[in-house]
Amino acid sequence: MNPRLHRGLTLATALLFSPLLGHAAGVDKVDKRSTPAAGAPHSIVLSGGKLLTVSHGTIEHGVLVMTDGKIAAVGTVGKVSVPKGAEMVDTTGMTVYPGLIDSETSLGLVEVEADASNRDLVERSDEILPQMHVYDAFHAETERIPVARLNGITNAIVAPGSDDTLPGQDIFIQLAGSSRDAMILQRDCALPLNFGSEQRRNERMEHKFPSTRMGLASQLRQALLDAQAYGVKMHAAEQKHEEWQKGGSKGEEPQFKRELKTEALLPYLAGERPVVVSASEGHDIETAMSIAQEFHLKIVLNRATHSQHILDEIAAYKVPVVFSSIYDFPLPNERYDAVYATPGLLAKRGVRVAFSSVGSSGQPSAQFTRNLPYVAGMAVAYGMPYDDALRAITLTPAEIWGVDKQLGSLDAGKTANVVVANGDPLDVRTDVKQVYIQGQAIPLVSRQTVLRDEYARPPAIP
Amino acid sequence: MHSSKAVFILLCASAGLAAVQAESTPPADVVISNATVMTVSHGTLEHASVWLHNGKIAGVGQKVSAPAGAVTVDATGKYVTPGIIDPHSHSALDSDVNEATSPVTPGMLMIDAFDNRDKALYQALAGGVTTELLLHGSANLIGGQAVVIKNKFGMQREAMLFPNAPRSIKFASGENPKRVYGGRNELPSTRMGNFAVMRQSFEDAKAYQAEWGAYNVKQKAGDKTAVAPHRDLKLEALTEVLEGKLYVQIHCYRSDEMLTEENLAHEYGYKLRAFHHALEAYKVAPQLAADGTAIATFADWWGYKDEAWDAIPWNAVMSMRQGVRVALKSDSNDQIRRLNQEAGKMVHYGGATEEEALRMITLNPAWIIGVDDRVGSLDTGKDADVVVWSANPLSTYARAEKVYIDGDLFFDINQPGYGTPHFDGAMHSAGDFGAADDGDAQ
Repeated sequence: MNPRLHRGLTLATALLFSPLLGHAAGVDKVDKRSTPAAGAPHSIVLSGGKLLTVSHGTIEHGVLVMTDGKIAAVGTVGKVSVPKGAEMVDTTGMTVYPGLIDSETSLGLVEVEADASNRDLVERSDEILPQMHVYDAFHAETERIPVARLNGITNAIVAPGSDDTLPGQDIFIQLAGSSRDAMILQRDCALPLNFGSEQRRNERMEHKFPSTRMGLASQLRQALLDAQAYGVKMHAAEQKHEEWQKGGSKGEEPQFKRELKTEALLPYLAGERPVVVSASEGHDIETAMSIAQEFHLKIVLNRATHSQHILDEIAAYKVPVVFSSIYDFPLPNERYDAVYATPGLLAKRGVRVAFSSVGSSGQPSAQFTRNLPYVAGMAVAYGMPYDDALRAITLTPAEIWGVDKQLGSLDAGKTANVVVANGDPLDVRTDVKQVYIQGQAIPLVSRQTVLRDEYARPPAIP
Repeated sequence: MHSSKAVFILLCASAGLAAVQAESTPPADVVISNATVMTVSHGTLEHASVWLHNGKIAGVGQKVSAPAGAVTVDATGKYVTPGIIDPHSHSALDSDVNEATSPVTPGMLMIDAFDNRDKALYQALAGGVTTELLLHGSANLIGGQAVVIKNKFGMQREAMLFPNAPRSIKFASGENPKRVYGGRNELPSTRMGNFAVMRQSFEDAKAYQAEWGAYNVKQKAGDKTAVAPHRDLKLEALTEVLEGKLYVQIHCYRSDEMLTEENLAHEYGYKLRAFHHALEAYKVAPQLAADGTAIATFADWWGYKDEAWDAIPWNAVMSMRQGVRVALKSDSNDQIRRLNQEAGKMVHYGGATEEEALRMITLNPAWIIGVDDRVGSLDTGKDADVVVWSANPLSTYARAEKVYIDGDLFFDINQPGYGTPHFDGAMHSAGDFGAADDGDAQ
């Protein structure tokens, strides 16, 4: 069937959305981005459910007030004043928790993965391409976003593919918004730095640098050194230009030719934004970390799936870890749970751990984004405390990506990204019943629900 | 531990060899007691026991009449299920899943490539998987003949084969054969090409069958001049398909192709056992139910290729509700480690009962393989393939703690090292096959 056939239907069905929890959707016009409605102050009150606040424990019979897109109040039933005229939603028997944050996805960079025409994951012409910006390619209307949203994912990092050492810069998104740009909460929020066998793609090509890890490391060091030198040059040119302006802009304007590739590294060399150091194996982690430390980068460690032999070393780095994927395979002759157990062992050593939906291939796959909560559940099964695991997909990633003032917990003043489900969010059996983004009830509609509903009905033409 | 076994392992260890045993010698009687027993066939029993006797299930219930000398396993607070059965695995085959040098290779036998020390088998065992159908990939329209194994990790190759299991043959349709041969500018490069090649193959088989038929008639009549036709392994296998001697397992995604495959089967008089992947089964479920063809599908994979773009996670339950026999499968060395969680997702997507969900990874895949009379549920007389879980296996939190196959303990989470009583050697790594993409596509 033509993959585009049902595109129009999504809109039509969204308009027919009937709320599951017995209240109006709060949206008069709905599209893929689920535009929040403008208008008068509007409050929605979720009352009676179990609140997993993440920041301050569990409230068994809780009330959560959302006003104008923000969480206005959180507390126990009867102890929180409810605004007049608020829309009341009975969440008795439900579990209410903050929207989930996925620390690495390919949302909006790829639609059908085998189809190159809509795949914008990564440039492979060079290992060093920090001037690539995910925001230039982000396709906000991807069918992948509503599907992920339906399982409670409300925010995510979108990163380029990990084929290059420096493949480009990430964005941090919200999975609904009034426009493409409104969905991008932060542009160029982080720079992935990948190190391992995956980037060593020239090994079979004769006479092409770099073909070894030594080559990759030296190429990376050189790029960072070049950027430092460029920074000095650029700073001098800026001063010269300032002096020229101060002097009344007389004579020839001093020129400076910008090199975007090199310039892209400057904010990261200045430690203004995090560099996401991605390596799986212990020795690769050590090499990549030593380079990152040599240049005093602000570090988030990513992957770390085979760090079970250097746990104390990881803890001593004092950097947060995005552990992905928990489904990475154990090495030959390792016990089956060598990777499953590692997030728990890291947490035990005080390491701040976040998760992503990256699968066992080591690359983000858009189809797995919705399974983010089960990653956290798997970590619990193998020893990570439940609260740490839930935090690893809510408040911890909010801290890592610098958005913890707005996201990651049920606290007054934060953005009202809230999920209502019929049970434990980390359990595969649990069904999400409603998702609020900026206080708006998101229609529980995706391309997949449209197909489901279409084929559940008898055919129009017998 | 049986003393001769201990000696055997000791000898191997001292010789520096991996311990691979010819056969296992389970205790005569094992009773797993006071557990939540999910029988799959007749409900879930609380505070119940399962009695394993000489490799078979001898009793299931609140009371079992095991002898006094039975080994007792206290499973208070634990869950017990039949062993998980994966009807679509490519484990332990290294990269030998496709003889992609010709689109029709029914004479290729998976057993010839089976590496019984692949770590993927161990990792699946630790996820509670006791039986696997090892299938060819989908590069070819007809890939070859599968092998059914019991996951007795540590046994010699022969001892891991499922005794007297029906033989299956792998067919494929759609994008993969198209791409593999089209990419070489060969036939087939379209779905028309796919089916045209299939038809001609069956015409060739019919001619071969007729040749042998004529010879057999002559020979029976005592004609001494009758000369036996030359045996052709390819045509012989296709003849067995026509004669219903091989179970046909078809890699097929799109609903229209499922219908075309059914038409082709009717045209040549063979039956289809199961569509594998079958991500669009929900569109044609009544037709599949009428033909009695099962599906072996993913819980929630989608969008990795065009023919997976209409996949929905409600596919399995919607198809089941319309009478289709539904199994979940891994097609991946990753997913095979947690098929129990994939089944759990069916409670979420479509509201399957826990028993219905569990049936999708036990009794239904057993039917697809043709061994449902021997495995797939906890019933007296069936093989003692049993898993003890730390928690409800349909949750995210369950760890397989003990895995019995034919009454013998092959995985024990409390044992140091691998947790494998029958294995302490060096594992092979046949690659971490089938991760995020369509594993069959290789």
